[in-house]
Amino acid sequence: MHVPMIDFTDQRLANGLRLIVAEDHLAPVVAVNIWYAVGSKHEEPGKTGFAHLFEHVMFQGSAHVTKAEHFGLVQSVGGTMNGTTWLDRTNYFETVPSHQLELVLWLEADRMGTLLDALSQENLDNQREVVKNEKRWSYDNRPYGSWNERMLAGLFPQEHPYHHPTIGSMADLDAASLDDVRSFFRTHYAPNNAVLSVVGDVDPTQVRAWVERYFGRIPPNPDLPVDLGDLSLPPVLGREQREVVPDQVPLPRILWGFRSPVFGDERLDALDLAGQILAGGKGSRLHRRLVREARLAQDVALFSLGLVGGASITAGWATARPGVALDALETAFWDELARMAAEPPTDDELDRAKALTEADELGALQRVEDRADRLSMYATLFDDPDLVNRMLPRYLAVTGEQIRAVCAEVFRPDNRLVLVFVPAGQAAGDAEEAA
Amino acid sequence: MTARGAGSGSSAVVAERPAPGAPREYAFPAFRRAALDNGLGLIAVDLPGRPLVSVGLIIPSGAAEEPADAAGATVLMARALTEGTERHDAVQLVEAAERLGASIHAEASWDATSVGADVPADRLAEVLELIEEVLARPTFPAAEVERLREERLNDLLQARADPRRRAEEVFAAEIYAPTSPYRRPAAGLATTVAELDAEDVRAELARRFDPARMTLIVGGDLSGIDLDGLAATLFSGWQRHPDAADPGPTDATPAASRRRVRVVDRPGSVQTEIRIGHPGVARRTPDFHAVSVMGAILGGLINSRLNRKLREEKGYTYGASAGFDMRRSAGPFAARSAVNTDVTVPALLDAMAELERIRDGVTAVELGEARDYLVGVFPLRFEAAGAVVGALGGLVVQGLPDDELSRYRSAIAAVTADDVQAAAVAHVHPDEAAIVLVGDADAFLPSLEGAGLGPIEIDREPGDGPAAEDADDERD
Repeated sequence: MHVPMIDFTDQRLANGLRLIVAEDHLAPVVAVNIWYAVGSKHEEPGKTGFAHLFEHVMFQGSAHVTKAEHFGLVQSVGGTMNGTTWLDRTNYFETVPSHQLELVLWLEADRMGTLLDALSQENLDNQREVVKNEKRWSYDNRPYGSWNERMLAGLFPQEHPYHHPTIGSMADLDAASLDDVRSFFRTHYAPNNAVLSVVGDVDPTQVRAWVERYFGRIPPNPDLPVDLGDLSLPPVLGREQREVVPDQVPLPRILWGFRSPVFGDERLDALDLAGQILAGGKGSRLHRRLVREARLAQDVALFSLGLVGGASITAGWATARPGVALDALETAFWDELARMAAEPPTDDELDRAKALTEADELGALQRVEDRADRLSMYATLFDDPDLVNRMLPRYLAVTGEQIRAVCAEVFRPDNRLVLVFVPAGQAAGDAEEAA
Repeated sequence: MTARGAGSGSSAVVAERPAPGAPREYAFPAFRRAALDNGLGLIAVDLPGRPLVSVGLIIPSGAAEEPADAAGATVLMARALTEGTERHDAVQLVEAAERLGASIHAEASWDATSVGADVPADRLAEVLELIEEVLARPTFPAAEVERLREERLNDLLQARADPRRRAEEVFAAEIYAPTSPYRRPAAGLATTVAELDAEDVRAELARRFDPARMTLIVGGDLSGIDLDGLAATLFSGWQRHPDAADPGPTDATPAASRRRVRVVDRPGSVQTEIRIGHPGVARRTPDFHAVSVMGAILGGLINSRLNRKLREEKGYTYGASAGFDMRRSAGPFAARSAVNTDVTVPALLDAMAELERIRDGVTAVELGEARDYLVGVFPLRFEAAGAVVGALGGLVVQGLPDDELSRYRSAIAAVTADDVQAAAVAHVHPDEAAIVLVGDADAFLPSLEGAGLGPIEIDREPGDGPAAEDADDERD
C-alpha cells in the first residue's frame, strides 16, 4: 500500500491570512476550508456557548450577502457547506464544482470583512432559539445525552476553559447580546487569526490572485493572539471521581474518562493505536471479552479526543446487557485496560492496528474536503501543515512498548472519572452495585 | 487598511459578486459488465488515482421478502454472515481482514443483502477470497446467532427510550396496513426476533443464494488487476439455484386515507419529535426526477421551505426536513422535525401549511436553485470509489437501466415547474397524513385538540397502543 504525499504551498498575505493550496485534478471539485483559532475555550465566564452561537450568526448575512443567502448561493451552484465549533477552534467549509471557486472565496471574504454590517437583533434572537433547540436535540432530549458535559466538568477544573462544553448553558445563551457578537468578531475573526485551505481542481496562481483580491484588504487585529494564560494541568486527576446518573434509559451504561497527553504529543499517537486494539471493531480485546465471550455488554467503545490546552480526553464506555451486575462489567472493562498497561500488545495486534490505520488514512484523504480540513487543522494548532504527510509515518513507527507505557500513564485509578448511567427509578440499587 | 469595526468593513472587501468560470465536463464513470458461466454478474469501474478499492457483492433481495412471522431474519442473517466460515471462526475472520487493512461489512436493507469492503488495491484478491467464503460457506454458529438475537432485542429496548427512534417506529406502524412489511422495522420486532435461530438465518440465505441473481461490483484504480480472472477463479464454483425467485412486489398498502394524530407521551421531554406523512413512491416511479426536485424544495435543501420557515424564520427547531424513502415499493414520505415543546402545535401547523402549499406550485427561483443544486452536487457525491460502487449497487437492486446515472443530470435539468407541481399533487397528501408526536403530551394537548387536525390517539404508557409492539426503526 502506498499513501500518496500531499504537495501544497503555504504563504501569508500581508494582513496575516495564511493560505494553503493543494492541487488535485482527479475530480472537477474544490474544497475551501477556513479555521479560525477561536473555540469555546476563548469564552468568558457567563458566556458559555457563545463561540458556537457566533458560528450560526456567520450564516446570517454580511454587507453583500443577505440572511441565509450563503446557504442558497452555495447550494445553487451544487455545493455543500457547513461550520463547526469545538473547544480549540471554529471552522467553515464549502465543497463546490471547481469553476465556482471564486464565488466561495468572495462569500468567505465578505463575512470575514463585513459581518457586523448585517448584524441584527432579530437574526441573533432567531439563531439563539435555533441553537437552544440544537442543545435540546443533541444533548437534553437524548438518552445518556449529558455524558459529554459531565465528563468535561469532571476532567477539567472549574477555572480551566475546557470545563464547560461547546454547546454552553441555556442561561448564558439567553444572555448573549449584540455587543458580545461585535466584540467577539473584532477580536477573533481577523485574517491573522485564520488559515484558509483550498484543495482540488484549481490553478494555484489563480487562487492566490483571487485570495489577494478578496481578502487582501481586510484589516488584521494587531492584538492577536489572545493570551489564555497557562492551561497546563497535572497529567492525572489525582483521585478517582465517580458519579451515578439516573436517566431515562432502559440499560445501564458505564462511561470512563481520563486525562491524556495533549494533541500533537507522540504519546497520544500510541494511545490512538491502543484504542484501536482495545475497542476498534469485532476483533478488539474489549469487544471479544465483554460482548462476545462474557456477554456482559451490548456495546463497547474507547477513543481519544485530541486537545491542545493542558490535556486531551480519552473516553470509553460499555452498555450493560439486561440483568448484568455492573461491578462485573466494570471489573472486566478495567481488567483489559490494566492488561494493556502491564504488557505490550502482540506483534500481530500491533500490525493489524497499523494496517487499519493506514487504510483509514487512505480513505480519509481521498476526499478534497477532508484533506483541506487536515491542512487547516495542522496549520492552526501546530503551525505545521506538513503534519498531514507525517502523521501516518508517526503511527507506523509506534512500538508496543510505547503503547504499554502510555496506557500505564493514563489508565490509572487516580486518573479516572466514572459515570454510571442507570435507569431512573432503579438508581438506589444500581448505585450500590456500582460502588 | 481600515480599522475593524461595525459599518466600516465594506470598503475592505469587493462588493461585486464574481461570475462562475467555465464548468469542466463531468460524466459518471464508465463501467463494464461481464458475467461468469454460472450467471454471476460482474461490474467493474476503473477509477484511476483511487487506490482504495471498494467491493460489493449484492443479492437483490432483502427484509421486504421475508415472511411476517420471521421478521428480522434477513437482517440477523446478514449480521451473522461474518460470525464464522468453514475456514475461519469469527475472530480469525476479522483478524484476516484487518491484516489487509480492511473490514468486511455484511448488511441487509429492505431490498438487498450485501457483503462488501474497502481495501487497498494491491490486496483486492485476498479480500475477495474472504467475501467469497463469507457468502458461500458461513457456519452460522448457534451460540453466536443467539448472541446477535439478544443484542437486537436489547437494541429494541434502547430504541424505545430514544425519542427519534420511537417516532420513526410509531410513524411506520401508523402509515402502513398490517399486510405491509414496511409497517415494522427492517430488523424485526421483539416478538418475531425472539423466535429466530441459526436454522432460520441459514434458510434465509439458502433460498436467496443464486449466482445468476447476484452481482459483484468493484470500483477503484484497477490498473494491472485481472478482475475477470480473479472472479472466475473465486466464484465459478458457485452453483445455480433454479428455485430462487425474483422478489415480487412488496405490499405497501396505506393504513388509512384520513388525517389522524397519534401522540406518544414522554413526560418531561424538552422537545417534541414530529413526523407527518404517508406511504410515498417507489424508486422506479416514472416521475423520479420531478419528485427529487420537489422534495429538495419542500424539505431537502438547507434553504428548503420547511427549514426556512421552522428554523430560519421561527427558530422553532435545529432543523426541519422532508423526503421520500424510495424502495422497490412505496417507502415512507415524511416531514420531520424536533421542536421546542411549547411551540409544538404552531410548528406542526406551519409544517402542515408547507405540505399544502407545495401542491400550489413553486417559483422559478426555487425551481432553478433546486435543479442547479442536484445537477451541480452530483460529481461531488462520487469522489470516493465507495460512493460509485454504492450507486451502481442501487441500479442493480432497483433494476434500473445502465444509463440511469449518466443521464441523471440532464433529466434533472429538464424538470419544469409544472412537473414539480404535478409531482406534489400526486405524491404529497396532507389530508391523508398520519401525524405522530413524541413528547410531553400534557404540555400541548389542549392546543392540539383545538387545532382540528383529526382524531387524536394517545399512548400514555410504554406498552400502550398498537404501535407499542412494533418497536423501533433502523433509520434515524
